[in-house]
Amino acid sequence: MSFDINTIIYMLEIIVGGLLVGIGVHFVPVGGAPAAMAQATGIGTGTVQLAAGSGLTGLLSAGLMMSVTDNLWPILATGAVGAMIMMDSTMLTGSWIYAYAVGVPFASAKVNYDPITTFSQPPYVAPGTVGQGIPTVCYVSGTIGAAMGGIGGAMIYYPLVQINHNPAMSAIFAIGIFMVDAVLASWNIQGTIEGFHDPKFKKWPKAFKSCLVATIILAIVAVLITPLGGI
Amino acid sequence: MTVGGGAGGAPQSIEPKKLRIYGLVGSVVGIYLAYILNSVTGTNIFSFVGSLAALFAVVMGANAVRRVCAYGIGTGVPSIGMLALGMGIVASLFGLNIAEQLGIGILGVIVALVYSVIFGYVVGLIANRVMGFNIPIMEEGLSDLSGAGTMAIIGWSFAISGSLAYSAIVTNVINTGFLAIIFICGGLAILHPFNANLGPDEKQDRTLVNAVMVGGMSNIATGVCALLTLGLPAGMVQIVAGFAVWYYFYVWFFRLAKRDAAAVVGTGLLPPSAL
Amino acid sequence: MDAFGMGLVAALGALATVAGASEDIESDVGSQSNPNSQVQLAAQVGNPHRIYNKAIAGEPPSNALWCATAAIMAYVLIQGYHMPLLFAAAAGASLAALFNGVMATSAYLGRNASQARFNQWVYLDIIRYTTPSIMAHVWITSFCIVLISIIQVYILTPHHPFPIPVIALIWGLTVGAVGSSVGDIHYGGEREFQWRLFGQGLNTMLSGQIVRKAEAGLRNSIDNAWFCAKFGGPCTGMGFGLTVFLDNWRTTVFDPVNQAGAAIAMGVFFVIVMNLYNFYCELSARRKYGPYPGYKGDIAA
Repeated sequence: MSFDINTIIYMLEIIVGGLLVGIGVHFVPVGGAPAAMAQATGIGTGTVQLAAGSGLTGLLSAGLMMSVTDNLWPILATGAVGAMIMMDSTMLTGSWIYAYAVGVPFASAKVNYDPITTFSQPPYVAPGTVGQGIPTVCYVSGTIGAAMGGIGGAMIYYPLVQINHNPAMSAIFAIGIFMVDAVLASWNIQGTIEGFHDPKFKKWPKAFKSCLVATIILAIVAVLITPLGGI
Repeated sequence: MTVGGGAGGAPQSIEPKKLRIYGLVGSVVGIYLAYILNSVTGTNIFSFVGSLAALFAVVMGANAVRRVCAYGIGTGVPSIGMLALGMGIVASLFGLNIAEQLGIGILGVIVALVYSVIFGYVVGLIANRVMGFNIPIMEEGLSDLSGAGTMAIIGWSFAISGSLAYSAIVTNVINTGFLAIIFICGGLAILHPFNANLGPDEKQDRTLVNAVMVGGMSNIATGVCALLTLGLPAGMVQIVAGFAVWYYFYVWFFRLAKRDAAAVVGTGLLPPSAL
Repeated sequence: MDAFGMGLVAALGALATVAGASEDIESDVGSQSNPNSQVQLAAQVGNPHRIYNKAIAGEPPSNALWCATAAIMAYVLIQGYHMPLLFAAAAGASLAALFNGVMATSAYLGRNASQARFNQWVYLDIIRYTTPSIMAHVWITSFCIVLISIIQVYILTPHHPFPIPVIALIWGLTVGAVGSSVGDIHYGGEREFQWRLFGQGLNTMLSGQIVRKAEAGLRNSIDNAWFCAKFGGPCTGMGFGLTVFLDNWRTTVFDPVNQAGAAIAMGVFFVIVMNLYNFYCELSARRKYGPYPGYKGDIAA
């Protein structure tokens, strides 16, 4: 193992990737179990699961791109786009069910006006619930979150491949780091959040600190791992 | 049933300290025993001992999940299992690699274990201090979990590669992608038991028996992988051993479920009180 | 871009659609994931039921397990024993279905035994005739996902650098995430509670009051699959199919080596279109359904 300026850069890249994952999770509008009964705004699943689903789809795209090029930017962009496509098609088909099966207008109970469309929200919140469906602000927020998760996953993956030249090992390693950051961030938001307009979003500095500490510990060992023949 | 550990969480009849010692000692000794048996006899037929060693770690991890999740962490049980295995993957690869770089290849297991326990403790500290969980056993529980995830990964990796050498693990376990099944099987073996038995009448023995049962199932999966990497005999021995463990503990689990359930009926309507 | 590659991408999309649909129906037959919290709650609020309770760790990890299991079996058969690809995928899916049977029954037994104080019984006939249906759906899901992974690694160019089990693990996580985000709403919002007012989500007061009786006799989970197969399943399939198809389409049509920019721009275009489509959905739902009549506050826009 040789410690030079490149190693530091790789480490920084992994740390930034981990932080992007940790913050990106805060953008994803998840309503948890209540949202599956149209009791709460957002997507009806767990934070970690959705972040992992989209971020790792981005990782697949980024891995494909990385096999044909070494340029960082297309890899990051492809990771982001792959993750956004997954998140958007999920939210879109989810919206179909909210709109055409359960039959609810989309509304958020956390704000009075949708910051993007400026639609009034409280009249459309059903009694006994805290909103339902995926309003535009949540949708846009989810897209941003997915992009951050995808960039984060690709950003963790890229330096790892540079270090050990082994896509398989880097992928599984990136999954490991991704999971740690996603779980820490989802603990921070206690399961449910509606997006960047949610008051809970202000808790992100805590996740930032936590993910920073955890990712530094992970990044130090990640850059120390040598490729197979390079001992 | 006694309330042990003073944790204030889930009631338990086996002390967590005892289970931790069983888990750590059992898995470390088991992995080294498998290593020694393999190198003394010059075969790879004893790799299945490594997969059995992983079961000790799984039991320890399942108990840690049980203790931590009894407090309620807001995101459901699955996330914590994923966290354990995410930490475990990094720790096990690092331990095996760094030990080889330092020329103490055989001690890689210990290095990985130490790193993972420290990392788990730090994550627990973060959870309590920064995020304000205030779960008194968080540090302890996450150290256990992280250690359990690491030992399970190393045990099953050994069962697939038949060697503790970093190069063998990379060729047989990582380049083939078999680490994926270890990751997810190990994760489910640690988190599924408590998740599957969630409820007010959850009993420790039933949860832990379930953990061994899922662990036995994972041994079947690693046995299938070993068919490719170690050849037919070693793989078959592992599948048979895994099946035996799975069958014995599945029957045991069914017995415990019958013991604990309100009633086990062949068929029937709702209970009379509810109609 | 070549015709063969496009055909493969179309096949990927079709396989993914089938996988998504069967994944969602599997989780409805077994009552898994988020709506299962209400099934769990039902016994606690005094409504014992005859619905399966397959609590296997949330859909994404459990589906990742089935798909990874099927993938290792297929990979071993292809690499070690040179079996045909389709046969290997089928054999792998069978192993995954067996694993699923074990996990599903253990979850049903465990969860119901842990609710002894609420008089929730364990019905063995439910295990006997619902578990095979769950296993069959898992077979379809994992077969399709393994086939997708095999196509991506062995056939589609550029070949994917990840090994098959890792790709299957990731697609398994993704299909689980899509299934629990999309199809579960149909099960939880529509099927579990049929005595809530139509046109609103579940009122919190009704939590746990799930429908326990069917047209004839008591409702079981197979009745739920019958219902959810009509809209929830296909929608999930659509969501996952779109993910796989659009993601692979843009890198097949545009060569990722020298047209990377176009591939990325195409993806961004899809994202913008989907954002607008969701805005249209929101707009039309608000216009058609209108505000709730009980609202007393000011509606100044």
